[in-house]
This record gives sequence, C-alpha cells and structure tokens, in this order.
Amino acid sequence: MRLVMWWSGRALSSAATLLGVSVLIFAAVRLMPGGFAETVLGPFATAEQKAELATRYGLDQPVFMQYGHWLSAVAGGDFGVSMISRQPVGAELLARLPVTAELTVLAVLASVLVGVPLGVLTAVRARPGGGGAAGRLLSGLGVSVPEFVLGSLVVFVFSRYALGLQVGSWVPVTADPAANLATMILPAAVLSVFSISVTARTTRDAVMGVLVEQYVTAAVGRGESPWFIVRHHILRNAATPVVTLIGTTTAYLLGGALIVEHVFNLPGVGSYIVQAVGRRDYAVVQAGVLLAAGVFIVMNVLIDLLVGALDPRLGVTAGRRS
Amino acid sequence: MRPIRLACGVAAALLASACAATGTTTSPTPAAQETAAPGYLAVADEALPTGGALNLQVHIDSGAATGYDPQLADVATTWQLLSLSYETLVTIGPDFSVQPLLAEKWDTPSPTEYVFHLRKGVSFSNGREMTADDVVGSLKRLLASKGVWRGQLGPVKSVAKDGDDKVKVTLEQPYTPFLAALANVPAAVLPMKEIDDKSVDPATTLLGTGPYAVENHRQDVSWTFKRNDKYWNKGKPAADTVNITIAPEEAARIAALQNGGAALATLGNVDSATMLAGAKDVKVVTQATTDFYYLMLNTLKPGSKLADPKVRQAIAIALDNQQIADVALGGKGKPTAITPAGLPGSCDPAALPSAGKSVDDAKALLAEAGAQNLSFTLSIFSTEPAPAVAQVIQQNLQQIGVTVKIEQMDEASWSGKVYGKAPAEFDAALSWFAGYADPAMVTKWWNPETAGFNVGFMKPDKELNTLIDAAGQEPAGAARDKALAAVCAKADADAQMIPLVTRPATVAYRADALSPSLYATEGYGNVLRLVADVRVKKSQ
Repeated sequence: MRLVMWWSGRALSSAATLLGVSVLIFAAVRLMPGGFAETVLGPFATAEQKAELATRYGLDQPVFMQYGHWLSAVAGGDFGVSMISRQPVGAELLARLPVTAELTVLAVLASVLVGVPLGVLTAVRARPGGGGAAGRLLSGLGVSVPEFVLGSLVVFVFSRYALGLQVGSWVPVTADPAANLATMILPAAVLSVFSISVTARTTRDAVMGVLVEQYVTAAVGRGESPWFIVRHHILRNAATPVVTLIGTTTAYLLGGALIVEHVFNLPGVGSYIVQAVGRRDYAVVQAGVLLAAGVFIVMNVLIDLLVGALDPRLGVTAGRRS
Repeated sequence: MRPIRLACGVAAALLASACAATGTTTSPTPAAQETAAPGYLAVADEALPTGGALNLQVHIDSGAATGYDPQLADVATTWQLLSLSYETLVTIGPDFSVQPLLAEKWDTPSPTEYVFHLRKGVSFSNGREMTADDVVGSLKRLLASKGVWRGQLGPVKSVAKDGDDKVKVTLEQPYTPFLAALANVPAAVLPMKEIDDKSVDPATTLLGTGPYAVENHRQDVSWTFKRNDKYWNKGKPAADTVNITIAPEEAARIAALQNGGAALATLGNVDSATMLAGAKDVKVVTQATTDFYYLMLNTLKPGSKLADPKVRQAIAIALDNQQIADVALGGKGKPTAITPAGLPGSCDPAALPSAGKSVDDAKALLAEAGAQNLSFTLSIFSTEPAPAVAQVIQQNLQQIGVTVKIEQMDEASWSGKVYGKAPAEFDAALSWFAGYADPAMVTKWWNPETAGFNVGFMKPDKELNTLIDAAGQEPAGAARDKALAAVCAKADADAQMIPLVTRPATVAYRADALSPSLYATEGYGNVLRLVADVRVKKSQ
C-alpha cells in the first residue's frame, strides 16, 4: 500500500511539474524578442503571407487556445508541427534522440569510469604530497570551463591533428559503427568533463566521510587489504551521494548536449533545439524543454529506486522498518 | 535550479553560436587562388573520370518554411539548393554574361519582344519531355504569383507559344534586366502538366530538368541528390551523388574540410582563409559577388533626426567605405553605389556626390540641421562580419560628432526589430542585399512600394522611383550608364539606405578530393552554379 501511495505521489508531482514547465516554456518562447513571421518567412514576406502563416499554425488564436491545442498535440504524441520543416516535432525528436542518447551514455560512462576512481584515489591519498591538491585543481578547472569554450578548442585542435578521430561531420552508427564512434568520442569527452570533475569531487568527499568511520578502522585493524576495504566497506557506503549525483548529472548532460551537438555539428535533439531557438520555431523549443523536464523527472525516480536498493534505510518503503 | 540550468543551456548555446562566429579583423594571408580561365576561379579537370560522391557542407537549410516552390524562393541559399534540380531558359555565364540554357538561343525582333528557341531533348527527372507549354505555363504562373521575383521580371505583357519549340514574351515597354531576371531560379521551367493535374506539389517535391534529383532530405541535417539520368547535357553531371551536410557552425565546416569529412564548404567569415592557411590539400578561394552591405536609416520613427535629409547626407559623407572593405572585410570587398560594384555598367562610387565631400562638410550639414550632438543606436545581427562593419561605422561617425551605440542581436530578434512593425522601432540597422546580375535590378529595392520590406522605415521618393524605372528601360550603352549614374546620385542624396561594400563569398575545397569549376563572379549567391562539372577524385 505504501508503495502504491509512493508511486501515486510521484506520478502526481511529476504531472504537476510537467504542467508547470509547459506553461513556463509556452509563455517564455512567446516573450522572446523577434517575430516568428519575419524569422520564418524572411523580410520579403507580405502581410498576407504572414497572416497565412499565423493561421496555419494557429498563432492568430488567443494564447490560452494555442496552449490548449499544444497540450492536445503533446498528448497525441506529435508535439505540434515545426514552422520550419512543416513536419510533426515528435517524429523528428524520435529520429534525433538516438544521437543524443549515445552522446549522453558515452559521457556518463566516462564520468563513472574516470570520475569515481579519481575521487577514491584523491581521498585515500589525501595527505600532503599525495596529489590531492592537483586533483582538486583539475576538477575545479573541469567544473569551471564552459562546454562551448572547451568544445571550440577541441574542434580547432583536432581539425588539425585528427589522431583518427573526426570533427565537423557525423556518421550514423547503422552505416559504420567504428566511424560513428570516431565522430562521437570527442563530443562525449567534452560533454563529460564537467560531470567527471563533479563526480570525482563528490566521490572524494563521500569516501573521506566513510574513511573516518569505526568499521573502516576496525577493518584496517583486522589486517584486511586496502583494495578489499575500498570495495567492501568504502565504496558501498559512499555510493549514495555518488549515485544521486550521477543520476542528476545524466539529466544535466542533456543541457550540455545543446551546446556540444551544435559545436560538433551532431544531428541530435540539442542542435535541433538550438536551431529552433534561433528561428523562433515555437513547437520545437517547447517540445525540447518538455522532453528535458521529463528526463529530469524520470531520472529522479530512477535515482530514488536505485538509492533504495543500495541502502534500504533510504528506500521508498523505508517507513515500514521504522 | 534545473530550469535555470536549462535556460542557461539555451542562452549559452546562443552565446556559443555568436562567439564561434566571431573572429578578428587581422589581415589574412593570401588565399590559394587557382590559375584558371578568364572569369573562373577554377575549372574542373575533364581528364578525370566521372562518377563518385561529392560531399559538401553549407551553413543553412533554408526554404522548407515557405516550401520549395522555386517561384516563391527569395533567398540565395534556397536558389543555390534548388539549382541542382531546376533550370532556367537562360543562365549567367562568367562575368555576368547571359548565356543559353533551356533555350538554345533567342531573338529580339524588337526591344519589347523576345523569342526563345527551346532546346530539344530536354526532359524532367521523371522522364517526361519538356514542352513549350511547360515554359509558357511556368512564366504565366510566376507572373500571377506573389513571389518577390515577379517584380524583377518587369512589365511582361504576354507569354505565348510560337509553334512547338518556341516561346514568345512581349513586354509593355523595353526592360533591359529581363534576360538577367530570367536567369535566376525563381524563373525556372516547372513541370506544369504535373502541377496542373496536382500529381506534383512543387512546395514539397523538386521535379525539374536539372542535373540532379533529390533522393533524401532531413531538415537541417542533410540533402542527398542523385544524378538525373535523363539529363539533356550528355556527360553531365560528372558526380553520381551530391551529399550536402548542413553545418551551422563555421568551425565545424572548417574542421570537416581539414580532416576530410567534407570536400567543399561555403564559409562566411573573411578570416576563414587565414584559419585554413597551411592546411594540407585545402584551397580557399574568394568569389566576388554583387551582394552588398548597406546601412538603413529609419526616417519614419517619430521625432527622429534621421528624417532630415541633411543629417542622412552627413552620415553618408562621413562613412569611409574603403576603410570598411579593408578593415572589416579583410580587403576582399569593394566600395559600392546602389548599382553593385563589379557589374558591367554600374556606377563609380568615387563619383557619387557624397564621395567628393569632406568631414567638415558633414559637420556643417549637421549644424544646419541642428543635430551636432546626434546619437543613435545601430542594430546589427551577430553574424560576422557585421560586428566589424558596425565598429568601423561607429568610428567613422565619431569624427563628425555622432555617437553610435551598437546593439548586437541574434538574427530573429534583429528581424523582428527591423521588419516587425511599421513604423519600425530601430534607429539604424545593417544588412545586405543580393545584388543580382544586372545593375538596375537591385535598385528596385530603393522603392519601398515595390520592395515592401522597407515600407516601415523608408519614405518613397518619387523622383528616385522615376529615375529607377527610366534606367530599367534604357538599352545597354552610354545612355543607360548615364541613367544609372543619375539613379546612384539621387539615392546617394536620399541616403535612407546607404550602400557600403560588396560581400564576397568564400569557398574552400580539398584539391585531393575534387576538381571544381567556379566562376570568379556571381550575381545570385550560387556557389554551386557549376556543380554538374565537378569531378570527384576520391570520395570521403
């Protein structure tokens, strides 16, 4: 019963959040400076052509009616029609989603495979001369450098010295998996720098918190090997904040993908939204933001479930044990 | 926090776009220019085998919003794309000469009559033979359309078949730019039988007589064109496939060129040649175009000092177009009057009335107008080299005591501010025109009643409009040159839209991947005009 209540509560709060986001983004795109008619049709468009465009996309109707039509399109799954391509937004999002998903998965993998060991290493060697300061400096840099700066730099350097990697073009994974990977590694690396840094810092803090626990001292006293202690006592007990962070970072990476896809010319959801913002393609921007909000919500639910599995005291049904 | 993060992401993406497009105005090293025949930047090596795939990158995928009907296409990027599939009766050759295409020749029995002899054996890509009815129907459809190109065709009185292989066009009065106007994509011959029976919608389907037919299109991602096996010009097109990737970021196009992801790319930043200097096998060429930048002064904004002709003339005098060309365009543009510099018969900008005046004359005009401490905002879009051009304008006008505040915006915000309302809300704005292939064509945009887009910030000038119409009627020769000079002088004095400098096109290609043909000059912004000639050396 408690589980049903939990799921019901999450479903309701998620729906309310999505509704709030939909209102905000719907209003925000209409408050952006610049008219859709001039942008979509160009300066030579006549008043009749502008009026015809407004009628075709329902932009001549009262705003609350436009919002209602859009919500109905979202519920129908097509997310409205793009003023630029004249095609349903949902289909294009679906076509572009694999690129963004691949980019995000690669970046998350890099965050875990690099960030966690780096965090553990800097924690267990947190003594003068142990390299902790260098680690903190590097992770500080990683957090501070914006993706568009790092991305532009990487594009410039690797356009000269490719080293077998590819920038500026993209190959579908279905056409040539190896070539696809060669086009995705650098964008994923740029995208992952922030999350690697944050993961490393969070892991370091969590591990250092666990290191002072009595059960770790006892394990050392029992003469257990350092690697055994790390695996069996430290990592599991330090995992909760790290897993939470990786979950939220995954959703964050979608925001970073906006920039990285644009800079590296990858045909994913991010570049779709960036171009739509520039062209005031309302339906696309709205759908993109709503999709991102949906991913945040889903990731939060997954994190809650995963954290509960790792530490039953924090699980969704933890109340039964109290 | 999370919505803020997303908002920051969107804002940063825009910033990234702006920053990545921003460059310095350092002098580029000399670009590699191929030695080719007169009028050409490069000529394809016909000794190379045909076939292969040609991989290109361009910055934008325009046209979908208004549909792909050639007659409604109004921007050069769309003309360029459509030119792969559509052809016109005549075309533009090197140095802006008008040459035969679907009409193998034409007669002009009188200054108001043109008889086009249609080429035999021409088919649309669906295999149906082109007929005189297609030609007549296409021109009549264009004349009845609301497309911007309708106005450029001039005073057409009638279009009629003259037998099965000739078409006669009669004008109300002589109109010299007629053939040049026929040479652009909006005047393409369409499959009228299919359009009339509604089996083809030209807004969504490209069906023409051109060298390529569309195989696949993903909006803002890519186009794939396959050779039109029914193409009338035997041996062309040389390449079997043309893959066009849409890459909005210039840095990404440059990277793709350098590492072989693209064989040819169009570039916008004049400094790109410098960035590609030394890149192995990459050649960068600059095509002179008739496109030109111009400054708009809003004379309709209530209370604006810019409504006073003396103030506008002072501004025109103070602008140093040569400095704009040298500093902002790396020496690649040319100062121009309203007839684009480089076109045969265009005016000499050094002979304009404002060119003979000094800074002191400009100050005196401002004093007469009571505008000594004039200050206004110049609205520009963020694409290079507009910011650099604006900075030179700012410094030029500072010399006459005019303070210019530069307002840099993304293109959508800029379009909304400049074209969104009448009267428009801006003080001054910077933009550019396609200059076309006849000097009288673009002068029509100085008549807001014809152009339409500038009705919100520009007052019609009857005298100027009369001069523009007169210049259009004069046949090529000394009398026309004199008429065009009068138009230039009057527009210079009117100074509601002040021409600045021409806008060159930069093209980069891999010499190890292809052998291209490129004209040295272009009037319709079509870098791909000779794409059917390009020989592929190796496909990436």
